Amino acid sequence: MNNTDMAVNRREKAAATLVEMCSVRVGKAMFGVPITHILEIVGGARPQPVPLAPSFVGGLVHYRGDVLTTVSLRHLLDLPPHDGRQDILVLENSGGCFGLLVDAVGEVLTVSSADHEPNPSILDERRKALFAGAYKLKDCLLVMLDPERLDPMRLVGAQAA
Amino acid sequence: MALDELTREFLIESQEGLDRMERCLTELEERPQDAGLIGDIFRSVHTIKGTTGFLGFKRLEKLAHAGENLLGMLREGKLTADGPTTTGLLQLLDGLRSILKSIESEGSEGDGEDAVLIGRLEELQTPVHAHAKPAHARLGAYAVSARAAAPQDQLRPTPEAAPPAAKAPEPMPEAATPPPKAPGEAETEAGKPRAQAAGTAAESTLRVDVTLLNRMMNLVGELVLTRNQVLQATAADPNLTLLSRRLDMVTADLRESVMKARMQPVSNIFSKMPRIVRDLSQSLGRKVRLQMEGQETELDKSLLEAIKDPLTHAVRNSLDHGIEPPAVRQSAGKDPEGTLRLRAVQEGSHVVIEVSDDGAGIPVEKVRLKAIEKGLITAERASHLAERELLQLVFLPGFSTAAAVTNVSGRGVGMDVVRTNVEKIGGKVEIDSRQGKGTTLRLRIPLTLAIIPALIVRSVEQSFALPQGALSELVHVPPEQAAAAIEWMEGAPLYRLRGKLLPLVFLDRLLMPGSTHKLSTERDNFIAVLNADGRQFGLVVDGLADPEEIVVKPLSAVLKSIGLYSGATVLGNADLALILDPGSIALKAGVTMSSEDQTGRGAEEEAEDETTKSVEFLLVEVAERRAAVPLADVLRIEQLKVARIEYIGYRPVLNFEGQLLPVEDSGGVLAAVAGDPEAQIVVVVCREGARQVGIAVSHVLDVAAGADLFEAGTSARAGGVTLLKNRVTGVVDLGSVPPLPVEENAPGAWDQLANDRSEAVR
Repeated sequence: MNNTDMAVNRREKAAATLVEMCSVRVGKAMFGVPITHILEIVGGARPQPVPLAPSFVGGLVHYRGDVLTTVSLRHLLDLPPHDGRQDILVLENSGGCFGLLVDAVGEVLTVSSADHEPNPSILDERRKALFAGAYKLKDCLLVMLDPERLDPMRLVGAQAA
Repeated sequence: MALDELTREFLIESQEGLDRMERCLTELEERPQDAGLIGDIFRSVHTIKGTTGFLGFKRLEKLAHAGENLLGMLREGKLTADGPTTTGLLQLLDGLRSILKSIESEGSEGDGEDAVLIGRLEELQTPVHAHAKPAHARLGAYAVSARAAAPQDQLRPTPEAAPPAAKAPEPMPEAATPPPKAPGEAETEAGKPRAQAAGTAAESTLRVDVTLLNRMMNLVGELVLTRNQVLQATAADPNLTLLSRRLDMVTADLRESVMKARMQPVSNIFSKMPRIVRDLSQSLGRKVRLQMEGQETELDKSLLEAIKDPLTHAVRNSLDHGIEPPAVRQSAGKDPEGTLRLRAVQEGSHVVIEVSDDGAGIPVEKVRLKAIEKGLITAERASHLAERELLQLVFLPGFSTAAAVTNVSGRGVGMDVVRTNVEKIGGKVEIDSRQGKGTTLRLRIPLTLAIIPALIVRSVEQSFALPQGALSELVHVPPEQAAAAIEWMEGAPLYRLRGKLLPLVFLDRLLMPGSTHKLSTERDNFIAVLNADGRQFGLVVDGLADPEEIVVKPLSAVLKSIGLYSGATVLGNADLALILDPGSIALKAGVTMSSEDQTGRGAEEEAEDETTKSVEFLLVEVAERRAAVPLADVLRIEQLKVARIEYIGYRPVLNFEGQLLPVEDSGGVLAAVAGDPEAQIVVVVCREGARQVGIAVSHVLDVAAGADLFEAGTSARAGGVTLLKNRVTGVVDLGSVPPLPVEENAPGAWDQLANDRSEAVR
């Protein structure tokens, strides 16, 4: 977490704005993605594998007349591959659209920016690069995913480095 | 630089006006008295002048004003549009264009100086000039060489006359051609309907952003897929059949309409040609008549853009290398005015655009020498090539036959660029030339870029699309033959395709390194023979599905960087399939050949000539003996029933669609199966000099390179035998086959070619 982000956090804390997060489940963990980045949720998809693609690529799905590359969150978290259908969050970032392959999409949670904490220092480097801190919920933590950091091209760069 | 809405509108309108003006100007040279044309040009310039004054573009206004004055005098009949005037007006056009361009890119008019041009325009208005001019026209001192033949189809009102409203109906009174004595009157007659027509065109058309059209196209593709799924889901329910059929029809219609919306007539690029031809023919001292046909033929907008440069290049080439100077033409007994024809026609799912001239044609000998001189081909190989193959050499990079480098062409970047650009969009280029008669260049362009025919193949339990353009043939290897069909050369899998070794690439092995890579002996295997950038190789796949017209969808950057796939597509069964890129597969699998190997067969011949000097033979078995036939003489191998063999007297012959073939049966193959009319025999059809002969054999065994044998002691080369697969084998002497008592039916050219080939063999 860099300085600007922290600065933003501090400002947000002061205002304590409410943010809407879409919760997703992968394995046993719960993650949150800001709904402002989500274009659409595609349920029950079976992505078509792409031979020779980088390992984190979950395959291709057909999305609104286009072919969407998906990123497997399971693979990024070193979890065994999921057999059967998975849900896809269609995310938009500066580079275009891509899909995030998750086990299941949960409900939309409203969280307060005051409850946000940056990534803990004991987190391993790979996860640090993927997560954008966490929100403290009543009974659990909602780990934040940053769509920018999940961008396939960026992941390729991270893998090479 | 952001421009306000008004300026942008002004730019688009002015550019359309100038396009119209350009067309009119080239026509004006043909009919200098046509008041309708002058009126049109005047209006274009006048409109620009009027609007610039309002928008405050001073430089533009001044230049347009000078032009308007000159045009005004032309309109009033005080001047006639002769050569210099038209040249002046074209300069005005260029001047206006460059200022508009500068406004578009920088937002300002730029600080160029137009005084010279304005001075020139004023000079043209002087009465002295006006007096001299009818004489000029008659004497032809300024004879204008480029003339755009008024295309017939322009006379027809074209309702879809879209964006450049200039294509709008141009009712051109036939009577306008002879110089009307009262130009003022003629203008009112000719000018009015033109103005009206332009008005209606503007009202019935609409400018649409191309990105919006692309989006619509995508959504329609989506709708088509959803429809397919709905059709499948409702197939069982009779209540829904009618509804789903309606949905099916409407979707198909919608898809067609949206595709049509992206289409533009080729006149959009053809219309630039009269000016290019005019300028070039003047600077090169040629006299050229330009004919254009099929301008209404439509092509996808992006494709139209892509062929603009190749087409311009082809036209330049025709003028520079094709059409001779008038004096040369006259002495050759041709019309001093050359003809350049541009023709567009739709043939199935392709649009063919032809650029043909009646010029000198391509000197094949020169091409041969040039190619050898430039090291593009060896002399030895060049001597084997037929005329048509030699012509294809002009497409090699670095080739140019122009004796001198001119401004127009001859810098060595030429036809190869044309070919590359056309192939990039899935098209093909063909060239045809007859010395002294002219040259025709044919560009075959697919109708749309987005939809390509593809073969669906299966591998690693997935479907992949293979573009048909690169596919030359399919070989089926049945399970029982799988083990024998493939040969290994130090780990490199090879397949003998008609006697030539074809490198094989196993798709499953390529896609999943580490998987097995043997032909499966349990099920059918298929080899797709692909041609990618001159490299030929066989792609081994597990199965074939039907060919399909696929809609190409772009891949994300991360998948594009894998380098094997050129896109993805959604198949009819709603499955996704990756589109394989044959060129990348060849690269990835290490299938490389030097760039000389543009014509596969020639390449192999060359390799043999240079390395071993050996000759390839077809090894056959004739009644349990082995014999060799020089492979270069073999035309084809026919397997047929023995009953097909007929006899003239005692001589066996074969009737091939009226062509008689003597069959040599010195081995007694026919006699051996004489009792059984259903028995299969093999006839190797060979050429011997000008004629063709057949040799009856029991089996064709193999193709192998023969080694020379020498007589012990004398070291003289033994004739009639060769060492094949370490066995001394007799070579069938084709010359000893006695001729048939019939007239020879082989054409003369073939004779020549056949001689060349047999020389090469010996």
